[in-house]
Amino acid sequence: MTPALSAVRRHGELDLAAKLVLAAGALVAVYLIAAPLAMLLLTAVRGPADALPFEQGAQWTLEHFRAIYSDSVLYTRIIPDTLVFVLGSVALCFVIAFTLAWLVERTDLPWRDLWFSLILFPLLVPSVVLAIAWIFLLGPNAGWMNVWLRSLFGLEGTGPLNIFSMPGLLACQALASVPFVFLLLGATLRSMNPALEEASSTSGASPAATFLRVTVRVLLPGVLAPLILALLITLEQFDLPLIIGLPARINVFSYRIWYELTPSSGLPNYGGAAAVGLPFLVVAMLLLVVYNWLIRRAESFVTVTGKAYRQTRFPLGRWRIPALAFVVAYVMLAAVLPTLVLLWSALFGYAPPAIDSLGKMSLAAYGKLAGNRLFWLGLGNTLLVATLSALIVTTVGAVLAWIIVRTRFTGRRFLDFVSFMSVGIPSVITALAVMVLYLSMPVGIYGTVWILVVAYSYRLAVTTRISRAGLMQIHRELEEASSTSGARWLSTQRRILLPLLMPTLVSGFILLFITGVREFTMGLMLYGQDNVVLSVLLWRLFESGEAAASAALATIIIALVIPIVFIARRYLSPRGYAD
Amino acid sequence: MLKVAGLSKSFPTPEGMTKVIDGVDFAVPEGECYALLGPSGCGKTTTLRCVAGLEHADGGTIEIGGRAMSDPARGVFVAAHERPIGMVFQSYAIWPHLDVFENVAYPLRVQRPRLQKAEIQARVADALALVGMQAMAARSATRLSGGQQQRVALARALVRRPALLLLDEPLSNLDARLREQMRNELREMIHKVGVTALYVTHDQAEAFALAHRVAVMWHGRIVQEGEPRAIYRRPETPFVATFLGAANVLAARLETRCNATEGVLVLGGSATARLLVAVPQGCSPGDALELIVRPEDVEVLCAPPQDMHNVTPARIAWMSFQGSQCECGIDVGGAFVRAMVHSAQDMHEGAQVWLRLDPSRCILFSKEG
Repeated sequence: MTPALSAVRRHGELDLAAKLVLAAGALVAVYLIAAPLAMLLLTAVRGPADALPFEQGAQWTLEHFRAIYSDSVLYTRIIPDTLVFVLGSVALCFVIAFTLAWLVERTDLPWRDLWFSLILFPLLVPSVVLAIAWIFLLGPNAGWMNVWLRSLFGLEGTGPLNIFSMPGLLACQALASVPFVFLLLGATLRSMNPALEEASSTSGASPAATFLRVTVRVLLPGVLAPLILALLITLEQFDLPLIIGLPARINVFSYRIWYELTPSSGLPNYGGAAAVGLPFLVVAMLLLVVYNWLIRRAESFVTVTGKAYRQTRFPLGRWRIPALAFVVAYVMLAAVLPTLVLLWSALFGYAPPAIDSLGKMSLAAYGKLAGNRLFWLGLGNTLLVATLSALIVTTVGAVLAWIIVRTRFTGRRFLDFVSFMSVGIPSVITALAVMVLYLSMPVGIYGTVWILVVAYSYRLAVTTRISRAGLMQIHRELEEASSTSGARWLSTQRRILLPLLMPTLVSGFILLFITGVREFTMGLMLYGQDNVVLSVLLWRLFESGEAAASAALATIIIALVIPIVFIARRYLSPRGYAD
Repeated sequence: MLKVAGLSKSFPTPEGMTKVIDGVDFAVPEGECYALLGPSGCGKTTTLRCVAGLEHADGGTIEIGGRAMSDPARGVFVAAHERPIGMVFQSYAIWPHLDVFENVAYPLRVQRPRLQKAEIQARVADALALVGMQAMAARSATRLSGGQQQRVALARALVRRPALLLLDEPLSNLDARLREQMRNELREMIHKVGVTALYVTHDQAEAFALAHRVAVMWHGRIVQEGEPRAIYRRPETPFVATFLGAANVLAARLETRCNATEGVLVLGGSATARLLVAVPQGCSPGDALELIVRPEDVEVLCAPPQDMHNVTPARIAWMSFQGSQCECGIDVGGAFVRAMVHSAQDMHEGAQVWLRLDPSRCILFSKEG
């Protein structure tokens, strides 16, 4: 038996320290994900509506489901709006993302590295920042683009573009989702072994035949998987539907949960929110199952080695200018103009740029922010919550990955499943579930930053996956050599595995830190006296009409996130530990 | 020094439990190098990993230096890091985040009670000097060639003065030329240190060159054990004979028995190829036999010799020039025999030749089934 075939460690060989570490990791993982979900289920079937499941007087009931599902608004507004929003924005996003990914990965487009970085911009900043910037640009009255268009065509009144509409919401969501899908599609395109296409050519197939019979077939699962994931991610969107959709009276599922919890009059309807959330969760899980199936197929097709191939690039020729124009248009709309409009509004006030307003530059908005207690509180909270939750998730994810890759522990498939499930749980649901859990549990973290730390920490899938891939690349014999050198398990992990895995862990941490800074939904739903985070504060400032202050805060958030990405960039590309 | 008795181990496979080791017994005396030799999947690596403590045996005992390391029946299992061993891995397993010095110092650094800095320094320097790598102590592990990694791996395995050195196919990742050179160096280094060693390989040349004793494994068992020369010259089964280097396996039939030990054999059904050889006991005329003879033991003559004893006429079917020698396929009454001839000899395809087989170099087995 070769070592590779027997490359599974029996848990019987682990010492006490190992068992403790692994058991703790597994328990935390299950707790972070399964406990809130169990509570959510209970909430949906316990009543009355404003009571928590274990409160005095609560009893078993199906009343919430009856109330929610007999309400015609669900069928006339919520489901149609959700479907149009999700399908429309994903379709648009996919077309843009695929075109961008193909241009950057498989053609001779100039300045590809620059475009690659700029395209990622919307992935790094909170969607609230983007939403506000786009409102400044496309608001029906004073939006810059509308002002320009009106003066260009001599139009009167408002418009012609109105961001507060279904097309406006669709377009904004599509622009915001592009980088995520672009990254996944790019990975798929890079993993295509050019020899597969060359083999087709040398078999006598024309370029068109090669494209249809080989390229498309091989790439299909790897292209469909990001599509499904985009559906899933869009389904859980709450920030843009709230900020852009609500003024247009667009009513999607995630917003409905929020509405049940914060009705304009009366008490929060926990049961109703849970009843709305459950089918939403089921749909998300179904999408997740499809995604998982596709990704396995994609992996068995192309990314077996996970290595990027040197691609033959398609010469654009005279399509070079239109291709560049397309990329520039996206980058302008999604990154450059939003940043400019925010910066300008923060310094010069919310009016389209003009030469004569240059003299009115003022740092008053920043000064006002600096004097705002909530700004400093929000900044501290954001950094604390993003750092701690990223640390927890990275650690637990690494332990889970170790259990999954290196042991034969019977429950490891369950742990894999639990961790993977977290991709499919909408953050609205997590927030709701965490809310009812800690309102019921007498630990007193409700309304504090700690509940945010716990809630943010449910996204285990990302680090579990990343660490798993990292672990698989570390040859088992590197650990065994430490054992046969006389090192105990913990010592081996600390001296050998941890240093080798560190680049992987750091990149996972950065990813989660940025996710934490971007998070808006959970911060808003679990909002309390002292736990305001910057994204929530931004929305509150904007809602209360403080345009300049919100623009200033948005620029600060941008300035906070972007440098982190550049500092951390060397960790985001694999280091030279090639074997 | 090392005693393994009745070792067994099964792995789950889709078809159920598969016995990978099925009752392996051997002992390695102090200071000797013992090789487990066999094709891939024969259980040799699993045996080594059980000795290292990286794998749990299902049954049997492992003793190192008189101390029980593994005895599932009595619930004894000493973890890998508590065994007095040093191990060289097939991939070398040089840690990429440590430099050469730190790789070699590692076993000393994890040792408790802690060693003095100066002692670590001195012992690592000794180990590196032994493998001729003292000049590269500060080099990054990622900038080593295959041969250098191999030396570092050996230094690391020896630095804590293990009672037993384990080597898992240590040369299989090197290219052919380097492998030959490292084989000789490895032998020098192991013998110089005088450490007891267990060596796993699928290459008989390595096993013969390095080990005092060799055990040939097949299907989870040791099928033959002995000194390299003895095993090569007197294989006890057709598998051992063919596994240890090129061999002709010829179908033969016993024609007549001359006396208690000898008989006349007919090769390949032809009446012309007759040999007078020692035959196994219990064979009677008419029995089918397998005759095994190595190509270098087949004498090819261009003209019929004076003494036609054990000589049979044959024809050269094909020749393949290999430099100093030519390999020929020779047709002996319908049976094919491979032989080596000096390339200066004037022979060509289709030529009539005479084969002489030395009966003492022929090995006969009763045909099974």
